[in-house]
Amino acid sequence: MNSLVKHIARFIGLILIQTLVLNQIEIGLGIQIMVYPLFVLLLPVEMKVIPLMLVAFAMGLLIDSMSNTYGLHASSLLLFAYTRPMIFKMFAPRDDYDPLLETHIFDMGRAWFIRVFGILLLIHHFWFFLLEMFRFDEIFYILQKTALSVIISFIFCILLQYLFIRNRKENAI
Amino acid sequence: MRNFLAFIQRFRVFLVFAGLQIVALTLYFTFLSYPRTQFLTTASYVNGSLLSVRHQVSKHFALEENNRLLQEENIALRSQLPQSYVQLEKEHLKDSMLAEIDDTLYQQQYSYIPATVINSTHDKRNNYLTLNVGKLHGVERGMGVFSSEGIVGVIHNSNDYYSVVKSCLTENINVDIMIASSGQFGLLKWNGVSPNKGTMWGVSNDLDIKLWSKVVTRGGGGIFPRGLPVGKISKKTPVEGKPLWELTINYAVDYKSLQRVYVIKNLLRVEQEKIEASIPPELDE
Repeated sequence: MNSLVKHIARFIGLILIQTLVLNQIEIGLGIQIMVYPLFVLLLPVEMKVIPLMLVAFAMGLLIDSMSNTYGLHASSLLLFAYTRPMIFKMFAPRDDYDPLLETHIFDMGRAWFIRVFGILLLIHHFWFFLLEMFRFDEIFYILQKTALSVIISFIFCILLQYLFIRNRKENAI
Repeated sequence: MRNFLAFIQRFRVFLVFAGLQIVALTLYFTFLSYPRTQFLTTASYVNGSLLSVRHQVSKHFALEENNRLLQEENIALRSQLPQSYVQLEKEHLKDSMLAEIDDTLYQQQYSYIPATVINSTHDKRNNYLTLNVGKLHGVERGMGVFSSEGIVGVIHNSNDYYSVVKSCLTENINVDIMIASSGQFGLLKWNGVSPNKGTMWGVSNDLDIKLWSKVVTRGGGGIFPRGLPVGKISKKTPVEGKPLWELTINYAVDYKSLQRVYVIKNLLRVEQEKIEASIPPELDE
């Protein structure tokens, strides 16, 4: 499949899943499931930082406009896109990234995915809850929300990859 | 100049990042306090219609519960109809009570607009609801919203077809409320954690407060009529350094399953605002 079409489909799909389904699920304990950073993670490795940030910002604003958060998601996703190249560099494979491979769990392996996406998601969620609460006397509540939400969001992101990317691969072969 | 260009060239990634981040944060912090435009909210036309479609699917999940609530409300209203007690009081009143409806001594002050909640949250720091009514239905900024169980919030902004409600689960809701039995009044606040509990501020601590007494609206700002239920007092704690109680209120409304609400239109609001604007400012000091 054409890679541009694939990314546009992921863009729209993740926004719809996030705003129409996941924003409505409320587990309690302040847990909030956010899977849309997966889109920014799966963009090509060779993409430059500035276009990456612009795409992330646009996606964040679209999600904001549908969940009455007025720029909160945009700000966190922007930070996610900004830190992505640094974290990628830190955990680069020995012969650098293969441009033919994608950065999902099947191509890059479990260990790489858990480390890289885990760190990025942690940064994203922490920034999000920090801004949302905006109070330093509730830092423990912020940390609790961040820790629990990251775990659940991470599990959902893995599930989404098994559901959509796996199938597509098998169909292609 | 060349040095400056070189500087921009070198730090352009960070500058773009900082620029966009400033845009996002400005949006966030200004929208939080002043709803200036329609763009970027669930009240915009495209998002509103998308959410309506979702509501078409999900509304049936809570149908039974909603039917029960509507039925209960119908019973309560029916019991207030003049027809309900004409029979009993015929001896005391010469004519039927029906005459009172057209009485010139009473003027209608509040009218109600029925609405459906098509989008809502309850676990954020500030929670908003989206309603499927807008300016074309007569909804304006600052109108009160309540359900059959109690008050829900205040209209934050609206466009032609949709509107956003600032619910009682936002930090600066500040509704004028009072304890039903004693008439003590205060302000409603929310601490940002539990969707079932609010706080009542401003009640003097030399009064004896009974737990589980009912809290209702005071009707001061002209937003809510007097006497709409808010909740019940579940806890009282003294405020440190001030002669006040901090009263915890268990909300009557269950925000997790809220669907049918009414928007309150105060027909005499302009009159009230006019007369209140004539208070000379010196009196406040």
